[in-house]
Amino acid sequence: MNRIVVVIVVIAGVAVALFPAYAQRLLRAVGHPLANLAVAPMERLAVMDRGLRDWWTQRMALQDIHDRNRALRRTVAKLEGEANQWRERVLALERFSALLDFQQRAPVPTLAAMVIGRDASNWYQGVMLNKGAEDGVRPEMGVITPAGVVGHIVKTGRSTSIALLMIDPNVVIGGLVQRTRDEGMIQGTSQGHVRMKYIPPLSSVKQGDVVVTSGLTGGFPRGVLIGRVAQVEESESDLFQVAAVDPAVRFRQLEEVLIVLAPHPSDVELTLEPAGPSSASRAPAP
Amino acid sequence: MNVGVFLVFLSGLLFLLPVQSTLLYSLSPWGLRPDLCLIVTCLTGLWGGPVRGVVVGVVLGVGQDIFSAGSLWLNLLTKAGTGFLAGHFAKNFSNMESPLVFFPIAALSFVWGVVFWLSSRTGTGAMLHGAVTLLLPQAALDGLVAVGFNWVIARWMAAGPAREDWAGRFPGGGVR
Repeated sequence: MNRIVVVIVVIAGVAVALFPAYAQRLLRAVGHPLANLAVAPMERLAVMDRGLRDWWTQRMALQDIHDRNRALRRTVAKLEGEANQWRERVLALERFSALLDFQQRAPVPTLAAMVIGRDASNWYQGVMLNKGAEDGVRPEMGVITPAGVVGHIVKTGRSTSIALLMIDPNVVIGGLVQRTRDEGMIQGTSQGHVRMKYIPPLSSVKQGDVVVTSGLTGGFPRGVLIGRVAQVEESESDLFQVAAVDPAVRFRQLEEVLIVLAPHPSDVELTLEPAGPSSASRAPAP
Repeated sequence: MNVGVFLVFLSGLLFLLPVQSTLLYSLSPWGLRPDLCLIVTCLTGLWGGPVRGVVVGVVLGVGQDIFSAGSLWLNLLTKAGTGFLAGHFAKNFSNMESPLVFFPIAALSFVWGVVFWLSSRTGTGAMLHGAVTLLLPQAALDGLVAVGFNWVIARWMAAGPAREDWAGRFPGGGVR
């Protein structure tokens, strides 16, 4: 068998050497159908190979994108945190500059303070301030913001003080309806609202009227904004009118306040001497 | 009680006041905040006896009085009273893990609420309205939060070593 194969190969080799053109024609005639048979699977394989290569490249690229995405997300989170801090600083700066502007324009000496907490018991509407007796703060001093009246100081520690908000029923401030010049008493309610009592029965006070401090009671100068009349409650049997007042200050968003050191110009020298005039223009502690 | 447990407890007490006056304000639903000092005093009285209840009540009461607009004795007296009453109440309470703990704590919260109302508000005319809109919801919230804390303490006590630590080297202490 082996010999036969060897003989055939030798004869074929001799034939190819002697008649190359015929041999090539013969080979082409036999090879073409075979080649056609092989092309189809080859094409499939080539497509599969390309697909595999693409899939792999894509996978590697995706992995890379995934890694870069994670890194970018981390960076974005970090930058968002930083941006937030900056935004907070800008807002604080805006508040401080408004407060400083108001403090410089205010007709009475004031001391800037920061709200550092709320009343520790649940029964009073109060805030804790970061300025106390050593800064010249005394009980009964008024507390205001550029928006209007906040309340008054009721208790002082060495470096802190407690201010009772205007919405507490224990706070009573002298108020004045700006348009009609009628006086009354501003008092908080247990529901956290503000009412103006003892308005003269013939007063033409109406919804939307501006209410300011009268300067007669409490530690406030005359003319500090309290709020606007939201509703007038008039009853024939009552001797006076009562009005619900919408306060100008948003008490839940209090962050910085001004403590009125001397509500009346005549008190300025008297009050400022022991506290020291420099403390009045101090900016709020960060 | 060993020194470690005592220090953890003391730090917890000191931490309560800032939490009460800062964090809780932002978390208060409908303007109501649980009175953590009252709850902790009550639970101390219930689990530790009247003497511990009074001691914790005095410490927390003084702290609250300093950082509150009220008179300097109101919280001191009410919190000490809370610890004392809770301690005595516990002697007649067989199952400390029961949610029924809600009732004595809510009752104490309500009673002290009335005391605060009468001492600080300018009149008693709106008392009934105030009781419905402020004091009862406050008492219910205090009671509910206390039941939650009580459940955690009961699990902790059941763990064993803590129970023995707590049970007693102070007079008036003891786990029932």
